[in-house]
Amino acid sequence: MNGSQVSVPLSVRLRLGHAAVQHLADQIGVDLLHIKGAAVDPSLRPSTSFGSDVDVLVRPDHVARLDRTLRDHGWRLYSTFEFGSPFGHAQTYTHDAFGYVDIHRFFPGIRLAPGPAFDRLWSDRGVVDIAGVGCAVPSVPAQATLLILNAARSSRVHQWDLPAVWNDATDEHRAEIEALIAELDAPVAFAAATGGLERYRGERDYRLWKVISEGGSRSAEWRARVRAAPNLIAAAAVVARAPLVNVDHLAHRLGRRPTRLEIVAEFFVRPARAIGEAWRALRRRGASG
Amino acid sequence: MTRLRPASGVAVVEEGGVVYAASLPDGPIVVLDGGAAAIWVEALDGPRSTLADRVAAITDAAVGDIRADVESFVDELVRRGLLTEREPDRDRSAAARG
Repeated sequence: MNGSQVSVPLSVRLRLGHAAVQHLADQIGVDLLHIKGAAVDPSLRPSTSFGSDVDVLVRPDHVARLDRTLRDHGWRLYSTFEFGSPFGHAQTYTHDAFGYVDIHRFFPGIRLAPGPAFDRLWSDRGVVDIAGVGCAVPSVPAQATLLILNAARSSRVHQWDLPAVWNDATDEHRAEIEALIAELDAPVAFAAATGGLERYRGERDYRLWKVISEGGSRSAEWRARVRAAPNLIAAAAVVARAPLVNVDHLAHRLGRRPTRLEIVAEFFVRPARAIGEAWRALRRRGASG
Repeated sequence: MTRLRPASGVAVVEEGGVVYAASLPDGPIVVLDGGAAAIWVEALDGPRSTLADRVAAITDAAVGDIRADVESFVDELVRRGLLTEREPDRDRSAAARG
């Protein structure tokens, strides 16, 4: 009997990872939906690729409980909500046997509040068998919707999702997706993925999705995030985070936890980088004007 | 007649003739290939009493030569909590009483 970890293919490890996370969730009564990868309905998946990690959307009130339980069972925090992504939506854990899992507390592009949005997706969920464990998944139209919204912020990597889930979809399936986009209040990110983003120039999150889907400087992205915040408190939180050092990324770059001195040094490097981008943008405008 | 099945809380993936089984939630992932994978697959496909005969049939081995090894291997899988034994007749009679 071979207990070796190195001989397990990624596609197998991912499916066992889905099963492991669902098993823990069942034990502690946490609601979560498996999204992307092995959990996606085959009709929406153009290849047999299962991606590189396990992604789950967790009922927001249950996130803290799942976090504690994962840590108790050998899952180590790899990146945090605060620094793991610009949206602050996901936190990544790694496990010696099962690899990586991304815990989502909301899904970028959905403007409906995280709790009601989860309720909506949970209301017509299904169950798929992954490695012998029943895993809760969104309905097929909801899976397509999430893949489209995901494609909006993955300008290169996940564009391959679009042909299967939207471009080749029947009129009936498109209508189901559009109805869900309306319920979840996600029109701008949807347009960023499928076209017609300019129709939303007046929306507060228009610039954000334009930068995300088409690219732009770091400073342009942060300005767009402030503008997209739904209220002053959220905007202040974005501003407060902007100049902070991404300690997670710095740690992975260094291969160890950074020292206080290194964090301070990075603190000054980031604004300098932003000033450099602004300077280059000014020069570009000057050159073209 | 005793049957074998994956124990509760065991996740299993079969891919490319290899069986990967993990005790949840912590693992590890146990990799069974070759004869070990064949025994696992056959173990789930019929009564334990005829398991050695079925494995012999698919491997062209003499049942007398492999019976002890097959039984020993299955005992090990049960001891590790990957497989469990059940009695279908007892299950059915319990259901009938219920």
